Amino acid sequence: MLHPARNPRGEQPAVTIENVVKRYGTVLAVDNVSFSIQEGEIFGIIGPNGAGKTTTVECISGLRVPNSGSISVYGLSPQRDRDQIREFVGVQLQESALPPRLRVGEALNLFASFYPSPLDPQEVLDSLGIKHLARVAFKNLSGGQKQRLSIALALVGNPKIAILDELTTGLDPEARRDTWALIERMKGRGVTVILVTHFMDEAETLCDRVALIDRGGLRALDTPEAIAAQAGVNRVRFIPSQPVDDEALYAVHGVQVVERKERYVTVTGTGDLAASLIDALAAKGVKVSELEARHGNLDDAFIRLTRDTASTVSEEVQV
Amino acid sequence: MTPSFGPTKRSRRSRAQLGALLKVQAKLSLREPYALGLGIGLPAILLVVFGLISRQVPGNVGNSGLTVIDLYIPTIMVVSFIFIAISLPNTLVRDREIGWLKRISTTPVHPSRLLGVQLILDLVLAAVAIVITIVGGAAIFGAQLTVDIPLFILSIALAIAEIFSLGLVVVALAPTQTVATSIAGVLMFALLFLSGLWIQPVQVGGPLQVIMWYSPSGAAVRAILSSVFNQAPPVTTLVTLACYTLVFAFVAVRYFRWE
Repeated sequence: MLHPARNPRGEQPAVTIENVVKRYGTVLAVDNVSFSIQEGEIFGIIGPNGAGKTTTVECISGLRVPNSGSISVYGLSPQRDRDQIREFVGVQLQESALPPRLRVGEALNLFASFYPSPLDPQEVLDSLGIKHLARVAFKNLSGGQKQRLSIALALVGNPKIAILDELTTGLDPEARRDTWALIERMKGRGVTVILVTHFMDEAETLCDRVALIDRGGLRALDTPEAIAAQAGVNRVRFIPSQPVDDEALYAVHGVQVVERKERYVTVTGTGDLAASLIDALAAKGVKVSELEARHGNLDDAFIRLTRDTASTVSEEVQV
Repeated sequence: MTPSFGPTKRSRRSRAQLGALLKVQAKLSLREPYALGLGIGLPAILLVVFGLISRQVPGNVGNSGLTVIDLYIPTIMVVSFIFIAISLPNTLVRDREIGWLKRISTTPVHPSRLLGVQLILDLVLAAVAIVITIVGGAAIFGAQLTVDIPLFILSIALAIAEIFSLGLVVVALAPTQTVATSIAGVLMFALLFLSGLWIQPVQVGGPLQVIMWYSPSGAAVRAILSSVFNQAPPVTTLVTLACYTLVFAFVAVRYFRWE
C-alpha cells in the first residue's frame, strides 16, 4: 500500500500521526500516539493537565520535533516542509501574549500580511465581535477579549487547519458559548479544527471525534457519544414503593453498583437500566417513584478512563 | 492543495511582510521609546554638556592636543550605541518571555525577521545619533573635525557591530526580562565608564588606560577618535574590535532562543 494514511473512501486525511514519541529529558510526554484527522472535522484532544495534549499538537504544528514516529499534514512533514505548512495552518497557543502596546487592528493587519490569501482583518474582527477594539492596545484588553484576539490571529490567515489550544480557559460562560458558535462557523467554512481542551462539555458540544490522552498515551479515540457509551456509566435513582433487597437488584441485567441513601436507591450500571429495573420490580409488585435516569457522559468516561492514573479524582460525578 | 508561488510573487510577498513588520516595530519603538530617548535624547544632552564645558575650559586635555569636545565626540557616539544596544534585551527578551516570538514562529514568517527589522530600526537611530553628534559638535561647539570618510565608516561599522552583538548576547543568555534588565544595567555602566564618559583614557594613563583602550567600548571610541581626526586607527584597535565582534556574535548566535 503506497498510502497507508488513506482511508477506505479514498479521501486523504488532513493530519495523520503514527507512533509519535516525544521525550523531554527523561520525561515521556507523548508515548506512541497514532491517529488521523479527517478534513473538515472538529477533532478534540482531551486529557488531564500535563497529559501531553499540547506537546502532541505542537508536534503537528512543527513547533516540536518528535523523537520518533511520523506526522503528515496533507502529505507534508511538519519538520521538512515547515514553511509550506505554516501557510495553511493557523495556531492559537496556550499562554501566548502580544507586546503590551500593540493594538488589536495592528496585530491583525500584521498577521494578514504574513499569509498568501488572508481574510479581511476587519471582517474577522467583526465576526468575533471585537471590531470596536481595533485601536485598543493588547495590555488594555480583558481576558475574554485577549482570547478572541488570539482566535482572530489564528483565523486571519485563512487556514485550512486551525489548532486551538485551551481556547476557552478563563472565559465567562457567555464568552465560551460565543466562542463555541464561532468554531461551529469555522467548521461550516470547511476548516479542519484541532481543539485541545480539558473541558468535557466543550468536547461533547463541539467535537466530531475526540482523542483522550493520559500520561502521554492514547486511551480512547471515537465520537464523544461512543466514548461515553464505552465507559457505560448509566445511573438510575428512585424510591421503591416497598423495601427491596440488594440481591434482587443485583439480579437485574446490567446492574453493577447499588447504593442507598435514606429512601432513595441509586443503581449504577450499563445498558437500559431504567427499563430493566422497572420491569424486574413490577414483576415483584414493587412500584418506583421519583425516578431519575441519567446517561453516562464524557465526564464519566473521562474519569473512568483516567482513574487508574489519577487516584485522587473522586468517583462521584456531578450531574 | 498548497498554493505555489513563482519567485516574483514570493519575493513581493516577502517584501510586504517585511514592510508590515517594519511599520509595527517602528510604532512600538515610538510607544516604548527607551532606545529613542536614550539613544538620541541623551547623547544630545551630553553634547550640550561637554560642549559647554569645552567652552569654559579651552585648550588641550592631558597633552592629547585635543579639546574636551573633540575627545567627547567619539565617546558620545559610543554612548548612544550602548544605550541602543542595551534597549535590545528590554524588548526582545520580553517578546520571547510572553510567547510573542513563539507565536510569530507559527506563521510563515520566522521571528528572525522581527529581530532583523528591530536591528534596522536601531541602525537608523544610531545613524541619527552620529549625524547629531558630528554636526552639533562641529557647527555649534567648534570641534575641528577632519573626518577620513572610509576609515570613519570602517570604525563606526565595527563599533556598532560589536556593541549591538553584545546587546544580543544579553538577549540570548538572559532567561527572563528581569534578569536581562539587571545584566544590561551592570553592563551599561561598565561600558559607559570604559568609553570615557566620566574620565577620558588620555587623562588616566597607566594600566587603566590600556584596559580602557582594549575594552569593547574603549576600543570603539579610540577607533572613531582616530578616524574623525584624519588618522588611521591603530591596527591593534581594529583587530580588537573585530575579535570582540566575532566572539559576541558567535555567542549570540550559538545561544539564541526564540522561545
